Amino acid sequence: MNKLITLLTMVLLTTSSLLAGDLTGRQIIENVYNRKTPKSQEAILKMTLVNKQGKERVRKIKQISKDFGDVEKSIMFFMTPADVRNTSFMNWSYTKKGKSDDQWIYLPVIKKVKRISSDSKSDYFMGSDFTYDDLGDRKLDADTHKLLREEKFKGETCYVVESKAKDSDYMYSKTVTWVIKGKNIGLKKEFYDEDGEHLKTLFVEKYEKIGDYNIITESVMKNIQKKHKTVMSLSKIKVDKGVSDKKFTERMMKRGIK
Amino acid sequence: MLKKKIFSVSAIIIMLVLTALSLYYIRKNAYIETNLDKYMPQEHPAFVYSNKAEEEFNIKDAILFVVNNENGIYNKDTLNNVKKLSKELKKMKGVTKITSLYTADNIVADDGSLTVKRFYKRAPSSEEKLKKIKKNVESNEMIYGRIVSKDEKSTLVIAEIKDDVFTDAFYEKMMDTAKKYNTSADKVMVAGRPIIEGTMGKLGPKDMKKMVPIVFIVIIVILFFIMRSFRNTFFTILVVGFSTIWTFGLMSGLNIPIYAVSIMIPVMLIAIGVADGIHIYSHMTIFRKENPESTILELLKDMYKEIWRPVVMTSVTTAIGFISLLTSEVYPIKYFGMFTAFGVMSAMVLSLVLIPAGVLLFGFPKTKEKDIHKDGDKGRLSKLLHDLAGKVIKHKIGIVITTVIILIISGYGITKVWIDSSFLKNFEEDSNIVQVDHFVNKHFGGTSTLNIILDSNKKDTFKHPDVLKLVDKLQKEATKNKLIGSSFSLTDYINRMNMVMHSDDNKFNTIPDSQNAVAQYLLLYEMSGDPENLWKTVDYDYKKMNLVFQLKNDSSKTIKEAISIIKNHKDDFKKLGVTIKYAGSGYKALVFTELILEGQIKSLVISLLIILILISLIFKNFIIGMIGSVPIIITAVINFGMMGLLGIPLSSTTALLSSISVGIGIDYAIHFIERYKIYSKTSEDKLETAAKTMDHSGRAIIFNAFVVISGFLVLTVSVFPPNRELGSLVSLNMFTSFVGTITIMLFLLFKSNIFFKGEKNE
Repeated sequence: MNKLITLLTMVLLTTSSLLAGDLTGRQIIENVYNRKTPKSQEAILKMTLVNKQGKERVRKIKQISKDFGDVEKSIMFFMTPADVRNTSFMNWSYTKKGKSDDQWIYLPVIKKVKRISSDSKSDYFMGSDFTYDDLGDRKLDADTHKLLREEKFKGETCYVVESKAKDSDYMYSKTVTWVIKGKNIGLKKEFYDEDGEHLKTLFVEKYEKIGDYNIITESVMKNIQKKHKTVMSLSKIKVDKGVSDKKFTERMMKRGIK
Repeated sequence: MLKKKIFSVSAIIIMLVLTALSLYYIRKNAYIETNLDKYMPQEHPAFVYSNKAEEEFNIKDAILFVVNNENGIYNKDTLNNVKKLSKELKKMKGVTKITSLYTADNIVADDGSLTVKRFYKRAPSSEEKLKKIKKNVESNEMIYGRIVSKDEKSTLVIAEIKDDVFTDAFYEKMMDTAKKYNTSADKVMVAGRPIIEGTMGKLGPKDMKKMVPIVFIVIIVILFFIMRSFRNTFFTILVVGFSTIWTFGLMSGLNIPIYAVSIMIPVMLIAIGVADGIHIYSHMTIFRKENPESTILELLKDMYKEIWRPVVMTSVTTAIGFISLLTSEVYPIKYFGMFTAFGVMSAMVLSLVLIPAGVLLFGFPKTKEKDIHKDGDKGRLSKLLHDLAGKVIKHKIGIVITTVIILIISGYGITKVWIDSSFLKNFEEDSNIVQVDHFVNKHFGGTSTLNIILDSNKKDTFKHPDVLKLVDKLQKEATKNKLIGSSFSLTDYINRMNMVMHSDDNKFNTIPDSQNAVAQYLLLYEMSGDPENLWKTVDYDYKKMNLVFQLKNDSSKTIKEAISIIKNHKDDFKKLGVTIKYAGSGYKALVFTELILEGQIKSLVISLLIILILISLIFKNFIIGMIGSVPIIITAVINFGMMGLLGIPLSSTTALLSSISVGIGIDYAIHFIERYKIYSKTSEDKLETAAKTMDHSGRAIIFNAFVVISGFLVLTVSVFPPNRELGSLVSLNMFTSFVGTITIMLFLLFKSNIFFKGEKNE
């Protein structure tokens, strides 16, 4: 689940410096993808799901993640609602191409850790408007990127880049990203479905400089078709504070939040 | 004379212009409303609640595609067919969700692991893999018997559709899609409420388009046979035709759509327009017979003197009768009442202007000599009618007893009348659509859906084990009933997750004992399955739950039976703070039908009262008012009685037929009483008066009934059952109205002595 964290830090944002000058759409996106991320991170994630009727569900999750080079491990503990407290979820995501994630779930009522294998990668993450895919890496050359224009957005001059999927079966036919000129931070991203219709929009509401990193601390994903939205906000963020390798075990999952 | 001719020509021109204008608006604006939701009063509490619940739980009507392979579905081609069909449907505009063996998730547990897998992604060809799919299906209660039939020969692809997408084109597209996947081994059938509604919406009007011209031709032929004049037939038909065109023109001009019940407007106008024409021509014929030397002007003068009053009176009273339908809560019925009233008044104006104008311009056809002199002074029919009046009076006891007996039998029939909002009942038992429906009902849960909304005002109520256990109990009990094929709710997910988390041990196919366990299973489902599925069964706060019953048919009886089973648990739910409500299109149709009926009965009573008062006022006598109401009451009672005895259920169209009995009954009564009153002034002999009235008004009434009945009997050979019912019931109503008028009403009139007493004492 470190993918979730990296989403917040990377999909739309990068701190790598760029030379001024005319960039191609591909370069702009490449710079966004080539991000600098913390080696390890701890944070409290508040996930607010809002449905069409405006009803809200709020979940507070403590998450810890660490990059081991060939694998990124993350562990999540539910804090609220009370009835799911200490339910935990662990994810190991491998950089090796084709190797799928390992996932475990621990339910306090069962008192057993179970491995989960799911083949629904494009499905929505925990009932949110983010899919697993939205949270993960996307290969730069999976899309054809085109710089559409430059325009002002939220007071910033942005590049507007269109990325069209090369694979016609992919869940998004295209995405359009607003990247702040010079900063290479994405502020907004539109997702278009298989039929080319506007499906979702991601808004980056807040980003903070923590340590050496620019970390997005609040973002909203709005599903336009379902009139549903998800607000994700991070707090109590600690980066590179030397998370122990031993954190990512079944034993730790069972132990819960101290 | 010239001035009058100019007047006539300009009157005809004005009417032609009005007709042309109406036709213009019909061409420009007319459209048929097929969306049944538009028929329902959206502000009614039951609909408000249902609509809200439908939105909250994403309750949609579904089209069911059945893929059937007699050699079993577990083979590469059939599974591939299911996959391709699912994918093609998914891509279609208006389709919101597909549920099939291909799209469904299978959550299974091996020791120490939990797997969420599709049953298949690529249709396998190896025996071993096919067997594995079969095994997975059999061990998953959420699929087995619901998506895959237990005989393993059929599987469903369920396509949920948006509310407003069902058009003719969409219907055709669905049918074509089904056809496309028909192979030598796989048979693809289509079922589900939208398909039934769609087929009905197509079949009814299509059949009517075919039948109505035949009805018209028969009416024209019979009319010609009776009037023996091309001219008179032509003008009578013109009255009917123009009044219908004006009515639909006004409707289109006001941008009001044509509803299914609007089909009854021309039915009414044929019956009433023909009556006006026949009465006027019949009167003129009699005048000519009695005054062979009279000029056209004298003829018209007499006509206006004698006939305008009953024509205006009958039209106004009929129109007021229809206006009483404005009390209905259902808009199409309100409009039906309003526009039929307008049509009736148009027919009146047309017959009082067009017919005389025609006579003035083209002359009155000569009464053939042989008709007058063949049997002495009176024609054969006249003699028969005179005799009939005598016989009625003579056999008064027989008539009263017969009437009473018929009324008693009908009264018994009325107790058997039942309401039905079923759409399927509108099709022949051996029609394809009914056969497919039977097939699905035999092998799967059921084609009709009832949504039960369990409502509480406390958060997390539906995470509570006590509540869930009660729901589970209700589901298990209800599905024992033969009419309830299957049920589905949040409990099914929880039961399954509980079992899966305990290594598929069937002992754990239950609701766990703690709320934490429920919450954790649900969280797990959200993380591993498709959470959209959950929100179709419960709301975000766990305050409301949507329990779905699949019923074996869509008849009101079945829905009511299911509701009564649920009501048995009302108190148990109440103790837990949960109230029970309903939603979905099947339930709305039931409420809607009941509303129509309630309104229909209300307006029937109101119109009877109004008519009683109007006739009393017209003839300045309350007893005449009562006598005049007799044919109407008899017709209405026999109408409903026969429906009960013949097993024709009350539906939105059949309920409206009682309006016809009022409309026709009052016409007959007024014409007859008016004529009786006129003759009573010149005669001292009651029997002579009765006989003369019978020869004059009675003749017109018989002719009118004969013409309209012949026309509508044509509909009884229609291929569409509702149109058959319409044809036979209209014919029946015409028949009882006329028989009631010339027998029991004549007798009561005769017996009452009213006009004689009054006039004689002067």
